[in-house]
Amino acid sequence: MNEAAERYHDLLFHLLDTPVLAITLSLAAYFAGSAVFRLLRQPAWCPAVLLAASLLAAMLALFSISYEDYSRGASWLTVLLGPATVALGVPLYQQLHHIRAVWRQILITLPLAATFAALYAVMLAKWLGATPEVVASIAPKSVTAPIALGITEQIGGSVSMMMGGLLITGAATVFFVELLAPRLNIKDERIIGFVLGINGHAIGTVRAFEISEIAGAFASLGMSLTGVFTAIWLPFVWTILKL
Amino acid sequence: MLRGFLSLTLFLLIGESISFLLELPVNGGVVGMLLLTLWLMITGHIDADLAAASQKLISALVFLIMPGIVGVFFLSEEFTAQWTTVGIALILGTLLSVLTTFGLMRRCTPIEKNIKDNE
Repeated sequence: MNEAAERYHDLLFHLLDTPVLAITLSLAAYFAGSAVFRLLRQPAWCPAVLLAASLLAAMLALFSISYEDYSRGASWLTVLLGPATVALGVPLYQQLHHIRAVWRQILITLPLAATFAALYAVMLAKWLGATPEVVASIAPKSVTAPIALGITEQIGGSVSMMMGGLLITGAATVFFVELLAPRLNIKDERIIGFVLGINGHAIGTVRAFEISEIAGAFASLGMSLTGVFTAIWLPFVWTILKL
Repeated sequence: MLRGFLSLTLFLLIGESISFLLELPVNGGVVGMLLLTLWLMITGHIDADLAAASQKLISALVFLIMPGIVGVFFLSEEFTAQWTTVGIALILGTLLSVLTTFGLMRRCTPIEKNIKDNE
């Protein structure tokens, strides 16, 4: 029995030599997570990626693979986030005509909305006594993940905590938008989409596409603009305030 | 599609270089994205390879961020102790910012009018 355990350890050590094991586990968890998500009839409060990540964490525990070993292999996947961020320029360009049509209004509302999205959480966290690293991790909470990763790197937060923050923010945005829109008597799907995109990044945008195409288009617009705007001003403001 | 991937990595490298040389606090990917948008505005069209490559990558975005999310389950003790604080700050902060955004959009009546004009 002891010998079998030893052999398993050697095998694991051998398999972790290349990133193939980490990539295979990630892919398997991704598709299993999507299947469970459909099985639960696509709950708005629990995004598919959270299910997939939980399954992956369970698999790592089951095969007794440490997170360090896993993420070393998975860095082969995360390196693709660089070109994927650049790729966001294509839909941004495709939506330029939406921006042109209402650019004045966007110019007024977007910087304010994106600033408040970060400011409220940062102030609350500071007031509740969070450490500077935690505050830095949740500052980009409304920014789409590939851009938020870059911001976190710049201002010195923890990537894992930032990712957790993005998940909570995305789920909370969908919940609150659906709760508040009827009560505030807002029926315009373009406004609902824009609000979902500004506050709830990709998770809000996915929800907006479920409402309608136009809500989805405005959500991706809100998401891209919030991402770009926050990526530019947040690191600058952060450096200035730190100095 | 590979040709499109080459364009994306080229823009990433240019963005990375600009960010490094000018010591910008913005990361290379974001600079590359803005440069790509600018380039598309200048040329006025998206070529098929670039469209294919970026569509594939964007559809895989959720998968690509998964390794980062898994890390949430393996956070060190010092962080787990702060989850209540973080949860309250994020949920309350999101409620406030959703309210603020709705308020801004409603107050900005021209936006509704303008959007309706587009119909």
